[in-house]
Amino acid sequence: MSHPLRGLGPLTRAYLLQSFRSRTAILWNLVFPMVWLFLFGFIFYRDDASLMMPGLFTITLISGAFFGVSYLMVSEREAGILRLYRVTPVSALTVVLANAIRAMAVLSISVGAQASVGWVLFRYEVAGSVTLTFFIMLIGAAAFVPLGMFVGSVAQDMRTAPAISNLIFFPLVFASGAARPAFMLPDWMQAVMRIIPSSYLVEAMQGVMLRGHGLVELAGPITVLLLTLVVGAWFNSKMFRWETSEPLNKRAMLTAILVLTLLYVTAALLAPDFEMVRPPGA
Amino acid sequence: MIVQAHGLRKEYGDTVALRSLDIEIEAGGIVGILGPNGAGKTTFVETLEGLRAPTSGSVTVLGMDPTTQGKALRERLGVQLQKTALPKELTVREVLGLFASFYASASPTNSILEKVDLISEANQKTATLSGGQQQRLVVAIALSHDPELVILDEPTTGLDPKARRDLHEVIRQLREQGRTTLLTTHYIEEAEQLCDRVIMIRDGEIVADGAPFDLVGRSSESSTIWIHVDGPMDPAPLIAAGVLPLGQEGAHHKFVTTDPTATILALGDMLRSQGLRLVDLRLRRPTLEDVYLEFMGDAPDDATLEDGAESSP
Repeated sequence: MSHPLRGLGPLTRAYLLQSFRSRTAILWNLVFPMVWLFLFGFIFYRDDASLMMPGLFTITLISGAFFGVSYLMVSEREAGILRLYRVTPVSALTVVLANAIRAMAVLSISVGAQASVGWVLFRYEVAGSVTLTFFIMLIGAAAFVPLGMFVGSVAQDMRTAPAISNLIFFPLVFASGAARPAFMLPDWMQAVMRIIPSSYLVEAMQGVMLRGHGLVELAGPITVLLLTLVVGAWFNSKMFRWETSEPLNKRAMLTAILVLTLLYVTAALLAPDFEMVRPPGA
Repeated sequence: MIVQAHGLRKEYGDTVALRSLDIEIEAGGIVGILGPNGAGKTTFVETLEGLRAPTSGSVTVLGMDPTTQGKALRERLGVQLQKTALPKELTVREVLGLFASFYASASPTNSILEKVDLISEANQKTATLSGGQQQRLVVAIALSHDPELVILDEPTTGLDPKARRDLHEVIRQLREQGRTTLLTTHYIEEAEQLCDRVIMIRDGEIVADGAPFDLVGRSSESSTIWIHVDGPMDPAPLIAAGVLPLGQEGAHHKFVTTDPTATILALGDMLRSQGLRLVDLRLRRPTLEDVYLEFMGDAPDDATLEDGAESSP
């Protein structure tokens, strides 16, 4: 009997090789994060690099998850490469996991490069533990990669994938305190922010990087992110499509959207106020 | 039986792709599925591969149900798909190694690359391969785990004659190794040269099934005979035997007949009685193409000879 994860190592390696050898992938994963870094560092946050970094890391993780991961899945499916895997004994779980591991590795490189170059250029400070900072980045990546893959499964082709990704990307970036500090957003937007998944990542990142919080103080947002990971991973296993001609599992898609909405409405109702809505030092 | 299908039917909405197909295929040899585009060839093989679930009827491949036992089946099945793509950033060797890792056991990469004549391209990225080389790599992937049954869906479509001949050689080797190969094609010559058995499909139904040689023999199409003799000839005895004269072509008298054997016997008698000597005799039997056209009737037809013509002497 075949092992359900047979081929995971070689497939992950193959995916990584493809990412490192593809010019488009390098553009997305290394050049764009640098562009964001320069844009934010030299124009938007000239005097406050420490305040900039948590939001910047969040933007990099989200854009990597939505544009990188979903595009790759859709293009691989559209080209017929996934079909070729489908006629072998390799399992859907193996393909999904290899994709997720590749995405995590690539995102680590993107964020790592941004953190290093950012430190050299802007000398930002980290008030709390650097290890915890990286841990939260990893959890953030793990929470958003399945959401990116979810888009990859829902999108029919390379024309619809950017539309759906953008539709999700902009609120996640601009209504979460990632692009513009939360305390500068109007009251109604601060209320909306509480149902936006990326807000919890910005809150946790700011908590450790600006306020020096530890794991205990950040347990709330981290729990929300981990629950997002669990929901996203579960629905990915239900939604994965080998071929464009396979029908979309609409029931699973609607259930996923409903469960995620319930999760974030509950979080918005139960969670204490975000600390990031108060200006640093206030 | 390596493949058994009974009452196999597949519908896509209002379109019926396969109507109640009954097919049994024994182990060994090369079986060709021949038919125009839209005849149901790809639907049929993709049903065997477990990519499509039949609307009704039953199918077993290597004794397994492709829909419910797909994973176990794919361990023993080698598949080349009609529409597919290779990861273009990987080398030939990397791609083959990747696919080999999906199987419980696999042949050494080099031996497969030698088999499909890609050993000198082993370290080249797949994007740099020619169409024929890419197709051979896809076939190599299908062979990487020593499958008992190999299913090739139009493996030579779009290839130049040299690339096609190379691939034919690979397919013939499979027969020599005792494997069963099922291939779809719309090149009639390919089916005639390569296949031990040809199943012709039209509109989702089998219209002819047998060895190419037997199918040609069963044809009701006429044979043409050209006769060149060393003096004036009276064809009356031939015409009496049911042969239709079609006049002269150069020095040759041309006739058509539905029974060439009887015609040759009548010709011998006629030559003796008229004291003539036979200088030249040419006979053109119906080809598989004639049989194909006879069975396909007015089906929208795109099966071609000109692209498939490659090695006729």
